[in-house]
Amino acid sequence: MANPSITIHASDAIAAPGQVTTRRWRGALVGPGLLLPAFVVTILFSIVPLIYLILVGFTEESTFFTHHRVYTVSNYRVIWDRYLPHVVNTIKLAVYSSVFDLVFGYPFAYILIRKVRYRELVRTAMTFPLFGPLYLAYGISYIVLPNGPLAPVLNPILDFLGVEVTTLLFSTPMTVIGMAIFTFPFMVMNVGTALSNVDPTLEEAARTLGARPWQVFTRILFPLSWSGILAGFLMCFGWNLGVFVVPLLLGGIPQQRVLSLTLYQKGVVQFDYGLASAMGIVLMVLAFGVTWLSLKFSRGALGA
Amino acid sequence: MSATTLASRPKREWKRPKIGSVLQHAYIWFWLALFVLPFVVTILRSLEDPDGGRSFAAYSTVYSSFWSYLRLSIEMTVLTIAINLLIGIPAAYAIVRHPIPGKRLILSVLNLALYTPGAVMGISLAITYAFLFHIPHSYTGLIAAYVVGTYPLMLVPIIVALRDLPTMYEEAARTLGANRLQSFFRVELPLLGPGISAGILLTFVIVFNEFLVTLFIAGPGTTTAALRVYGLTRTGFLPSTAAVAAVMQFVSFLVVLTFFKAFGSRYLKGTYLI
Repeated sequence: MANPSITIHASDAIAAPGQVTTRRWRGALVGPGLLLPAFVVTILFSIVPLIYLILVGFTEESTFFTHHRVYTVSNYRVIWDRYLPHVVNTIKLAVYSSVFDLVFGYPFAYILIRKVRYRELVRTAMTFPLFGPLYLAYGISYIVLPNGPLAPVLNPILDFLGVEVTTLLFSTPMTVIGMAIFTFPFMVMNVGTALSNVDPTLEEAARTLGARPWQVFTRILFPLSWSGILAGFLMCFGWNLGVFVVPLLLGGIPQQRVLSLTLYQKGVVQFDYGLASAMGIVLMVLAFGVTWLSLKFSRGALGA
Repeated sequence: MSATTLASRPKREWKRPKIGSVLQHAYIWFWLALFVLPFVVTILRSLEDPDGGRSFAAYSTVYSSFWSYLRLSIEMTVLTIAINLLIGIPAAYAIVRHPIPGKRLILSVLNLALYTPGAVMGISLAITYAFLFHIPHSYTGLIAAYVVGTYPLMLVPIIVALRDLPTMYEEAARTLGANRLQSFFRVELPLLGPGISAGILLTFVIVFNEFLVTLFIAGPGTTTAALRVYGLTRTGFLPSTAAVAAVMQFVSFLVVLTFFKAFGSRYLKGTYLI
């Protein structure tokens, strides 16, 4: 359809020919005017705080709000010297869980799109992790507890696999699995959208031409769904960078060296606003970079 | 064409399910079980009696100590939804129906809060509230944080629904004598019902269960239910904690289910939540 607002203005002209110019000029203000409240809210509560974060990141501790402001880059240097393992650990955990999502989510999406008829049921069940990682992590930590409810069922399986029960909780694998389950729906949705755009007759044609299943995957499915894979991976990765509660409930001290937790520790508990702000900026830059990349490759509703 | 032959193959004959297809469905069910398992386990734990039996005893805490938190959460969620509607519907309308320079950039800015990690938003708002706006640990501050974090989620479904809505309805109303406002409220708004409901659903689920940003900026008088659950989970696995967590999840699930039954998943398409 042609630009709809021009159609409306044309009917204005029919109604009141003499007032076309003023009406159109005033009409041009309506659009931005309708956007104004949303814009103001965003500026006040999203942009301004972030600007503040940048500013405070360059001051020493809480001196920003006193009369003895001390500007310094030492916060970032401290991050580089002492907290680099935290940054690396954050990225590491996020990568592990995103890879886990990809490896297990791709087949899930494929089966969901191609073979399964009860998609609504699956979608409803998939909203469960999205209620909050808190309940998920809590439930998982309870399941994996050595004397937990599933112990009769779980212990034999674990003994069979040679895994010591007490090492299961508060470990990296558990943390990664918890994070992965939370972002699993994101991966499935992105890959699923990409796969649904792949013509199934292409796979069938490949099979009739003699391709083995793995060849069908590497030569047809993978290249055609690549944008979905990338978008899903980046989306999961971006979310997992900011993870907070899953390492707290499912991880031990080594896993809890995550930027969000350290930020909370330093900022709210120890009032070292300078350092916390600097960490916040680092986390923000990481998450933002990843999300920007993912938006470039994904298909949003806004046709980006 | 081969496509039509494949499609017209008779499907009504009963074929013995092949092992491959059974495995595939099993794979799906395995993961679905994994999603729902924490919830089920929490419910089971909440039904445990100190004497080893099964009872609803733990749920008494839900009525006694937890109820005030629950009421506060619901109150705040409803208020956030109302504000989101007030801000989001005009904004969505402007974006879809009006020519605005720099629309792409404006949209990216409006969506900013969605891409900000919770901890970053928390610390930035904590600092700003305490020292710039001078409203530390306040009710208003919390509501503002919720609104700015969730109105993009209200925006997207409405934009999608609005885009699919042909302008001819509005134009027909205008030729029949309605002015801009009337035609919007009586024609377009009802037609946008499902899109708006999708936004309400997303806002509800997110705000009701939100505790991370709340952790940074809430105070003693503004402890929401989700924040309270977070505090309780740090103390162990008592049935009362499990009961409280189960209630929160149950309420969220009920809302989601109602929406899906009423409108299906079509209107949540672009939001990456579905």
